[in-house]
Amino acid sequence: MRRPRSSVRVGALLAVAALALTACAGSDEPAAEATSSGPPEAVEIRFSWWGSDTRHELTQQVLDKFEEKYPYITVVPDYTDWNSYFDKLGTAVAGGDAPDVITQEERFLNEYASRGVLADVSKLGVDTSKIDDSVLQSGTIDDALYGVATGVNAYSIIADPAAFAAAGIEMPDDTTWTWEEYVEIANEVSAKTGKAVYGAQDYGFNEPGFSIFARQRGESLYTDDAKLGYDEKTLAEWWQYSLDLQTGGGQPDAAKTIEVDAGGPEQSLVATGTGAMAWFWTNQLTAITNASGKELKLLRVPGESESERTGMYFKPAMYYSISAKSEHPEESALLVDFLLNDPAAGEILLSDRGLPANTDVRAAVQDKFSATDKQAAEFLADLEDEIVDGPPVPPVGAGQVAEITRRINQEVLFGRLSPADAAKQYTLEVGSAIGS
Amino acid sequence: MTEVHVRPTPTDAPTPTPAQRRSALAAEAPPLRIRSPWPDRRRQALKHLGLIILCAVMLYPLVWLLVSSFKPTELIFRDVSLIPSEIDLTNYSEGWNALQYPFGRYLMNSALIVLGSLLGNLVSCSMAAYAFARLEFRGRKLWFSIMLMSIMLPIHVIIVPQYILFAKLDWINTFLPLIVPKLLATDAFFIFLMVQFFRGIPRELDEAARLDGCGHGRIYLRIMLPLSLPALATTAIFTFIWTWNDFFSQLIFLIRPDMYTAPVALRTFLDSTGASSWGPMFAMSIVSLIPVFLAFLLGQKYLVKGIATTGIK
Amino acid sequence: MSVVTELRRAARPAKGVKAAPSRRGLRNGDGKAAAVFLLPWFLGLGLITIGPMVASGYLSFTDYDLLQSPTWIGIENYTRLFEDPRLLNSLRVTFTYVFTAVPLQLIAALALALILDRGLKGLPFYRSVLYLPSLLGGSVAVAILWRQVFGIDGLVNEFLALFGVQGKGWVSDPDTALYTLVLLHIWTFGAPMIIFLAGLRQIPEMYYEAASIDGAGVVRKFRSITLPLLTPIIFFNLVLQVIGAFQSFTQAFVVSGGTGGPADSTMFYTLYLYQKGFTAFDMGYASAMAWLLVLIVAVMTLINFFASKFWVFYDD
Repeated sequence: MRRPRSSVRVGALLAVAALALTACAGSDEPAAEATSSGPPEAVEIRFSWWGSDTRHELTQQVLDKFEEKYPYITVVPDYTDWNSYFDKLGTAVAGGDAPDVITQEERFLNEYASRGVLADVSKLGVDTSKIDDSVLQSGTIDDALYGVATGVNAYSIIADPAAFAAAGIEMPDDTTWTWEEYVEIANEVSAKTGKAVYGAQDYGFNEPGFSIFARQRGESLYTDDAKLGYDEKTLAEWWQYSLDLQTGGGQPDAAKTIEVDAGGPEQSLVATGTGAMAWFWTNQLTAITNASGKELKLLRVPGESESERTGMYFKPAMYYSISAKSEHPEESALLVDFLLNDPAAGEILLSDRGLPANTDVRAAVQDKFSATDKQAAEFLADLEDEIVDGPPVPPVGAGQVAEITRRINQEVLFGRLSPADAAKQYTLEVGSAIGS
Repeated sequence: MTEVHVRPTPTDAPTPTPAQRRSALAAEAPPLRIRSPWPDRRRQALKHLGLIILCAVMLYPLVWLLVSSFKPTELIFRDVSLIPSEIDLTNYSEGWNALQYPFGRYLMNSALIVLGSLLGNLVSCSMAAYAFARLEFRGRKLWFSIMLMSIMLPIHVIIVPQYILFAKLDWINTFLPLIVPKLLATDAFFIFLMVQFFRGIPRELDEAARLDGCGHGRIYLRIMLPLSLPALATTAIFTFIWTWNDFFSQLIFLIRPDMYTAPVALRTFLDSTGASSWGPMFAMSIVSLIPVFLAFLLGQKYLVKGIATTGIK
Repeated sequence: MSVVTELRRAARPAKGVKAAPSRRGLRNGDGKAAAVFLLPWFLGLGLITIGPMVASGYLSFTDYDLLQSPTWIGIENYTRLFEDPRLLNSLRVTFTYVFTAVPLQLIAALALALILDRGLKGLPFYRSVLYLPSLLGGSVAVAILWRQVFGIDGLVNEFLALFGVQGKGWVSDPDTALYTLVLLHIWTFGAPMIIFLAGLRQIPEMYYEAASIDGAGVVRKFRSITLPLLTPIIFFNLVLQVIGAFQSFTQAFVVSGGTGGPADSTMFYTLYLYQKGFTAFDMGYASAMAWLLVLIVAVMTLINFFASKFWVFYDD
């Protein structure tokens, strides 16, 4: 029997060719690692963050400055929008390809830390001496610092005075207004402008809004021991106000709301000049102002003086974390240190990632603040006396709450779930997500 | 226009030669066939009209996509007409540079994966097909059935462990998880396609070659492959189209933006710009559809034949 | 021959018709050659298909996040499957999709195949044009297009506005979002249409002639000749399309922005599987979901095969 020599040879040749081809097409591997002694060899690290175009541009400028300072380090940017950020991060981490420096958020920090994905930043030589202790605490779990807060912000309302003027309505007094008044005013704006300008954008997609609502009534979303701390009736009430806005015309109909929400801050009603109020974080003021081209105002959320206590709080805007599996932890630490402590970085970022956590940097760049940064800074300063305390760190599993909130909110808006039933289901799902 | 139907000749007589057939037909005057009460011409015209309308409706979204890519974003939603008032190419230049890397990079990534897949499928599937079609070995029927069943296997049942395997091999974020399976004939559909084709090649050719002293390898290379160009072409075209459009695997295995392929890049485009820059996004959508469209234009014959062959009893 | 027919043949015991023997004495002696030619396929089968299937079976009994070792949890993943409302919803969504999109698409394909009968002028042109959507329909680009076409400011609503009808956000409304995807699937009827066309060509003209002579009308001919003789092909298309439809992913992903929304109304089974396995670190659960999918597809296919005895007409 003949041996099929030629076919084997050909087959082998082709296989080798194919593999060679794929090898050439493979990803860029980071160059040789930097040794701890001797001249540093070229290193590549990856930095991931979410945000709008404004933030991408600012961050890129900061990275350029960083690379000037450390020419042997190249930072590969990895940025996406907020909605898909943690999905993509999950995939990357699961595939063993986590970025070196990761922008984190309080809902997910616990989860990633508990899975051993994040390194203890304090052991990597990042200088945190100028950062307020309480801020550092928010990123500390079991005595390890898993993420350094980049800055501080607050969940508030961004309002468009021009929109109010167009409707012929006075801007509300945000220190005294109640939830009922919020709904009324929004409905009025819509009515007076024939829905050319809506009173408000739906707030139900984001649970910080509810956290504030609960806190005003002496409850809270989570408790210190990782359980749920609110009454279902409160949650139902919160959603009821949403529905009141929808039926009263103060906010757009459900389908439009969903489309608007998918577009992010720069597509929000206020940013496109079709809305008078929207709920956002104070550090998003710049991006939204840029998009709208008008001067906007920050307002306290309704009901701050209505119930037992104020509900607003200072939130660590986001964290910088370092991957536990990073091949270049020292260089990653250098980047984090630069982002947090170097005035050059502070000058560019200003308050895009919240009011700078490093108090020295904050003082140094205060003069460089743009109008919107100043606005935000003043607003936060005003709140200092009113804000009583902060909510507890979200427990493990809180990452899922973002999605749960969004989905159940959609059901409520479309009338598929009544607020009471929604509250029940929410409690059930979030409860099982955080394992309480 | 009369409809002329050629009738097969009655089979009592021995099979007539073509020449005989032709003269027989010429002698026979085919009658007019009216199949329905409506006048033929009107019916035909109506049919064509209906079909043209249907084609227009079917193609409308695609044409609209093309035309919109030439309009500035704001006009896209206000102006329903299919004729743009001016051809504006800014969407293309904007879209090309809108993501982290120029779009060409993503196209190149797609192209590389497609190339690898083509090579893989053509080689490994034809080899396996030769074995199933021409070789006698123990358990052939069993293996063949297994191969057939694997065509219907949902990829999802193996994607998770595949992912884990590739993660352990450190292949995530390379093209390897997308190409290596093709080198190992996992697209069993093409094995099946080629088996059908090989079966149609007369065994006499094999015998003749064997008498000349050829082994299986030579027969495979010198006889089967050259005669199977249609099947190979069909395999190539389908592989090209399916791989170019394959989103799920590329989404999972390619993590970093610099490795993204066209479909994954488009999705990122959608996410990051939300509802704002439809123009550039449409432009890049068109760009990513062009290769498939070209494959369609050039390979229609093989596409149609390929689909038809696999479905015929 | 179709995949389906081959499988039937393989399953049935030989009816006294032996497969054409390899003459000239190489019978069963081709083992070595076969090993070489089949080597890539065997490797693929073992490493890429069967191996992972076995591993996936094991993983479905564990809690695994790819970062730490798997922990054995027995059948908990499987019991969770039936208690998970979102999973049950995704099954509902997927089944709805399969049972509406596939039949409608096949009906459109058959109808057009019948209309494009022999001798029609311009047949290749029509065939190609109607086939094109089928080719492009699975791409991300078309899904993006579709999302816009059915959006609030989209093409469909603009069109409706011409008639004074107020459209709504079809893709943002839980009641209609899924049906935009069904429509997309129907739009791609070109591929099955081509298969039907080829099948129609196989029906001998003689039969129609004879029926005409007997005075049969168009409808009668369809019912007594066309339909019965087409049933194997209808069956083939049905099986393949059902299997394919259960695995739909791209369109739902893109149109819903990866969320399966709004309100989980487009959460296809595979999309939920992706979310669980690849974004939520729940690979054990995703594996269990995958096996459930295999089971469902297998059962549906078996039902199809079984039912085929009653309506598919083979003349062998």
